[in-house]
Amino acid sequence: MEIERFLTNTDDPDLIPQIKVDLKAANVEALAKDFPRLIGPGLDYTTANLLHRQLGQLRRQIELKERRTKVALLGSFTTKPLANLLDLFLSAGRVRLDLYEADYGTFRQEILDADSGLYRFQPEFLILATTWRDLGRRPDMSDDRHAVERKVKSEVADWKSLWRATRRLGCQIIQNNFDAPPWRVLGNLESRHPASFSRFIEMANHEMQDAAPPYVTIHDIDHLAASWGRWQWGDERYYFHAKLPCSPAHLVDYAHSLASLIFAQLGLGKKCLVLDLDNTLWGGVIGDDGLGGIRIGQGDPESEAFAAFQRYVLGLQRRGVILAVCSKNTESIAKEVFEKHPEMALRLDDISCFVANWDDKATNLGRIAERLNIGLDSLVFVDDNPAERSIIRRLRPEVAVPEMPQDPAYFVSALERHRYFQATTISSEDLERTGFYRAAQARQAVESTAEDLEGFLRSLELVGHIAAISAATLERSVQLIHRSNQFNVTTRRHGATEVQAMMDSPAWLALSVSLKDRFGDNGLIAVLLAQADTAARTLFIDTWLMSCRVLKRGVEQYMLNRLVELAEARELDRLVATYIPTAKNGLVRDLFAELGFTCIDRQNDGQTRWELALGARWQPLTHFITEQP
Amino acid sequence: MDSAREHIQSELETVFRRVFDDDELLISEATTATNVGGWDSMAHVNLIIAIEKRFGVSFSGADLASMRRSGQTVGHLIGLIAASQNQ
Repeated sequence: MEIERFLTNTDDPDLIPQIKVDLKAANVEALAKDFPRLIGPGLDYTTANLLHRQLGQLRRQIELKERRTKVALLGSFTTKPLANLLDLFLSAGRVRLDLYEADYGTFRQEILDADSGLYRFQPEFLILATTWRDLGRRPDMSDDRHAVERKVKSEVADWKSLWRATRRLGCQIIQNNFDAPPWRVLGNLESRHPASFSRFIEMANHEMQDAAPPYVTIHDIDHLAASWGRWQWGDERYYFHAKLPCSPAHLVDYAHSLASLIFAQLGLGKKCLVLDLDNTLWGGVIGDDGLGGIRIGQGDPESEAFAAFQRYVLGLQRRGVILAVCSKNTESIAKEVFEKHPEMALRLDDISCFVANWDDKATNLGRIAERLNIGLDSLVFVDDNPAERSIIRRLRPEVAVPEMPQDPAYFVSALERHRYFQATTISSEDLERTGFYRAAQARQAVESTAEDLEGFLRSLELVGHIAAISAATLERSVQLIHRSNQFNVTTRRHGATEVQAMMDSPAWLALSVSLKDRFGDNGLIAVLLAQADTAARTLFIDTWLMSCRVLKRGVEQYMLNRLVELAEARELDRLVATYIPTAKNGLVRDLFAELGFTCIDRQNDGQTRWELALGARWQPLTHFITEQP
Repeated sequence: MDSAREHIQSELETVFRRVFDDDELLISEATTATNVGGWDSMAHVNLIIAIEKRFGVSFSGADLASMRRSGQTVGHLIGLIAASQNQ
């Protein structure tokens, strides 16, 4: 099979021929399960296209459970091959691409003409698939430093005005930066000479990155080009003959990279890396070899490779990826390595959830997800043992299980190239999140020993702050809107633009809540969006969600009390709320009943509508959160 | 027909079957784009990429242009592959 062996999610080399057989026999269940596992960034171009063809057949045979996402793909090259591959990769995350393409090379007209097909299509994502060829300005040899800077500024100003023109669409833009071509007419002097083209591209890329507002995500194709090698990346034959933006072999990874950005925007990125220990984080078996016998750190190539992998994992942790351990070991022996081995880069503090026992790993992964309060589909499981990987793939199909090479020297690339942990932004909350999860577990420990709930809540010394969402809290609020699945009554994934519009509108209340307790600052943990209808004297709750880190702290009572105050200040008579069931939000099915709302409508699909009458008879709810002074 | 060409034709058939996802596809020296369902310009690019990989050859721009002229046959393709391999 022409699959790059370690960039897949399967250990079964016969899966591709099997798919063919299953398609012929309409073996629907096996297909729905096996097909997504074949799709990895290591596919070669021919296999990827074959799979895309088969995806078409599969979709004709069965209704796949996919959410639809409207994407406009505009570029100055033939976009269809890229679009097909993007469709393939999105399908692996159960997203169905609704595609809009424009005529070859007309992307500026499409954006500037408000009557164009683009505006009729109303995309959620607009991909501006540009290459260095789309740069409108080039430095002349006679240009001095200032002249070049002026050209860079006016180049970027052009792109900014295109971005602004799309504001009527309110979509998220994914804008490529510019990939420097491999040839350099100034040779080695290119890096220094003010008028060199590659320096110009570098400056334009920096300037564009800095100028990008939150609704623009810069897709770093210059990094793709560099990491594949610039001569390999830009096969000129395919540009001249087929108007492809890069060598077809690399279109696959290009599409994978785009898909990872869309997943991140849709809140479908992974959150937690679950690690095996023996022969994954160090060489050898701690139970047999002992502290002195395992291979980690300096001295021999294998030990150094494991240490390098640990440092990479630690880097992920520092940027907000949650780490968990899932190992068949005696807990005290496994933990001792983290506590006592001087060469370990990872320490016990870095692991948010440590599970070492002799139970099967499928069960343990369930426990880890439960303890961290995240879905199984947020986990990536790394284990050197093919048998363990195979069992998890079968029993826990939601968990991402990358193939791992035998040589630990390749562990970093095997994990990195899947782009599991793509972030659209890194906020200070991300940086502290792993700390929160640990503190949450300490709280769980307190909770189980506290005499009663009230005593427990009082002992937490909760301090809250409810405020209108501001420019400073917009980014984090939107992040929460996209990530929260459990405490989320309507699961409406509003983007930054929509929330900004609510913030600007007098009819809307756009609130965020932050919470501290004696274990630490939880940061911004809840968002509520509601629209006042003065004619109907009603406040409609559009969105209400909360991070699962702070469930059962009385935050919902605290928020409702404030909401009622705000509604009464506007002389409204009632609150109306909706609950829309999803696979994950069963937690809040009875939320409104518990808060004293009356059910006024119940639909067949489980959707319910609730009303709360305000006025003298309404009494504030009890909670133990003090307002921050 | 010499055996080198026959050999290329049989390998080429495997490539065609994979690209067009049709295990029963048969080609001959006389086959043209109009005889094969789905052989459009997109599929043509896929085909070229698969052939270059399978045979370890790299077509020149002039070769690529000559393939696109209508009426060109699988025989023509075999000739180009044979010539590339001999270089």
